[in-house]
Parts: sequence; C-alpha cells; structure tokens
Amino acid sequence: MPNELASLQKIPVTPRERKFSRLMLFFESLFKVPVFGCQHCGECLLSSTAFVCCQGCPKRLRNGPCGGTGEDGSCEVYHERKCVWYKIYYRSKLLKRMSLLYKLNKIHNWNLENTSAWLNVFRKRIDGPIWFVHHDKQKVKDILADDAQAKN
Amino acid sequence: MTLKQKIESKQFIVCGETGPPQSCDGELIREKSRHFKGIVDAVNITDNQTAIVRLSSIASAKILLDEGVEPIMQMTCRDRNRLAIQSDLLGAAALGINNVLCLTGDYQKFGDHPEAKGVFDLDSIQLVATVAQMNKGYLLSGKEMKKPTEFVIGAAANPFAVPFEMRLIRLYKKVQAGAQFIQTQPVFDMELFARWMEKVVEMGLHEKCVILAGVMPVKSVKALLYMKKEVPGVKISDEYINRMKDSCEPKDEGVKIAVEMIQTLKNFQGVRGIHLMPVMWESITPVIVKEAGLASIFN
Repeated sequence: MPNELASLQKIPVTPRERKFSRLMLFFESLFKVPVFGCQHCGECLLSSTAFVCCQGCPKRLRNGPCGGTGEDGSCEVYHERKCVWYKIYYRSKLLKRMSLLYKLNKIHNWNLENTSAWLNVFRKRIDGPIWFVHHDKQKVKDILADDAQAKN
Repeated sequence: MTLKQKIESKQFIVCGETGPPQSCDGELIREKSRHFKGIVDAVNITDNQTAIVRLSSIASAKILLDEGVEPIMQMTCRDRNRLAIQSDLLGAAALGINNVLCLTGDYQKFGDHPEAKGVFDLDSIQLVATVAQMNKGYLLSGKEMKKPTEFVIGAAANPFAVPFEMRLIRLYKKVQAGAQFIQTQPVFDMELFARWMEKVVEMGLHEKCVILAGVMPVKSVKALLYMKKEVPGVKISDEYINRMKDSCEPKDEGVKIAVEMIQTLKNFQGVRGIHLMPVMWESITPVIVKEAGLASIFN
C-alpha cells in the first residue's frame, strides 16, 4: 500500500468549480491575508500551526523549521525576519497545541494553489481545521507512548 | 561490510564526507577516494552544497562506487521537483547506489546563482517518505513499480538550532517517515549535544534509527569564527574557540580536539557512529580514524 503521507487526494478541480473557487478565494483573502498573511496554497494548515501561516517561510516548509534558524530565532534567508516555525513553536506552546506539531503534513498538491481552502475542505480534498485540542500535554505523551508500543 | 549490514548488525559506524569539484574533473574524486578506501564505512557525497554548482552527486557517487568506496548520495529538494527527484533516485538505484541522505537544501541566495528559482517542491521529511514509499514499490503517483528500490534512507538533524524542542519533533517526524540513519550537524558544543541526546533516548528514537554524531576537524581559529558568524544554526562553545586560539599548531590542535570529541561521543548512550566531515581537508580522515582508535574495527 502506498504511504499515507505521500498520497494525493485526486478529486480534480473542474473549470467551473475553479471559477467559483476564485470567487470564494476573494472573500477568504479579505480575512486571511491581513490577519495571517495567507499565501493561497489551497491546503490550509493554519489550525495545526497555531494560526501562523507556515507558507511565509522562504522554503515553504510544511513540516517544521530548516536547520538554519539563528540563535535569536531569525530566518536564515532574511535575517531581519523571524523564522516562521520559531513563531509557530512559541504560539503552539502558548495556545497548548503542541501535539499538532507532531503530525506529518502531506506533500503539497500544487493543483490546489490559488484555490479556496474553505471550498477544498467542503469538497473533502483536504482535512478540515482542528479547532480545539484538549489535554495537550497528555496527547504528546500518548503520541510517544503509542510509538513505543507499535515498536513492541 | 555494507552500511546496511552494519546498521543491522549494530556495529559502530564511521562515515566520511567529500564534496565534488566545481568542474568536470572526475579524476579529483578518484584521488580523494584514496583517503576513504578501507578507512570509513561510507562517504557522503554532497549535492551542490551551499547552493554552489558542482559535479552532480549521482555521478560522483558512481565514481566512488567504481573505486570501491561505498557512497551515501545526498539529495536535496532545492533543485528538483518531485518528478526529477524520483527519476534521479531510480537512476541512482540502477547504478547500484544504495544509500541516500535526504535534505531540504541550502537556500539559493547564499550560492553562486542567487538569482535562481528554488524549487522546494518537497521538504526533507516528505522526501524521506517518498524514498520509503519507493522502497515499498510505489511511486508518488501511486503507480506500482516492477522492481522496488532498496535504499538505506538517511536524514540530517541539527541539535544546536533553536527552538530545542522543535528539533526533537523534526527528528521524530523523520524517523516516523522512515529514516534509518540520522547524521547530525557537527558537534562544537558537547553540553548541548549531551542534552539533546538525552532527550532522544528518552523519546526512544535511538532504537528506531541509527544516530551518527557529526565531527568537523578545523584547521584554524579563523574557520571556526567564520562558521560562528556566517553559517546559520551552528553553535560553537567558547572553550573550543579559546583552545584553538591559544594553540601554536592549530592544525594539530584541531585534530586533537576532534579525536577527543570522538572518544567522548563514542561513549554516549544512543550514538551508534561518527560522521567525519572535514571540509576541504579529506586527507585528514585516515589520521583521525587511526588516532581515535577506530581503525581496528576495519581490520
């Protein structure tokens, strides 16, 4: 069986839907661009990255920071900026959403670039947002414990 | 004994590293292979490191293979999209290259072609998953291949960058995606590395993958200060810098420190090997391996 992480949801976007998606994207952008700096990737990860858009990263990494974060948390490419994943880490800590950082994010589907993430959730192309995380610390422990068990 | 067998038989592993030349001179790689043959288990071949154009890592790996040295081909996501990555991996497998180290790659701004378009279609974790999937016999498209690849999958880890906990999460994800061995960035700060290793053991990751600690011997204090200032994500302890500064024979001191480090790292719980990466100083590899008392494992 192919790996879950590397599989792409193959529900094609019809030209008609794309038009509608553009319209939806316009309204989505009104909110998401000023608040989160949305880059219109169409596969929104905001809820699992503590509501910091990870696509602001110059390498557009979806699974955590590269090895070049400076000691003060600066981006290795643009020193005057803060590393996006540095922000995500501290925000996750603050909002008690650390367990979500353990999730492996799938390979980006470039077909969904510049489409409405809200519509994509509705059409079940991508997973919906995760609003509430209860007992975050316990969840992190469970993730690690499950793994140890799976090994045995 | 191949790297795969060494990993399975739980033996101590020593890796070297070499960078291909910035020309089509394959002879240079053949010459450098002399420093590794019979001395290390496998040799990393960098893939356009620091975003500077060099002879391709697949071709260099093949040259090393012909010379009787086992290569670890590095594969970065900066220069290739998912089509090129898969086709290059298949090509490498066909040439008999069995080890691949999955990296995201340095940003192109720092290299000799700063105006280039960086691809970053996948990231290193997704690349690890891609190779793992190809080992199972499937391409990313879901198409089944007639013959699956048999790569030993490697990945890198940087224990020295901030935030500390995020580095462990990254490592966890890489192991989860299917990494079989992990090479760390060069250790210049033993205290921090010890703390990181402790956490790795606590999370039980050292049982699921082989961790190779990076050791970089340096020639002079200038190189050390340059790295501290210019290379992102590198942390160097003051003690190290002072020792290099006070020494009248910096080259010998560099070797001495590297050897001492290997002795310390060898005894860490969870460290299964050493990754030696003398940048532009490959000829020192046999000296260090011998002085650190690792040579006996190859006889």
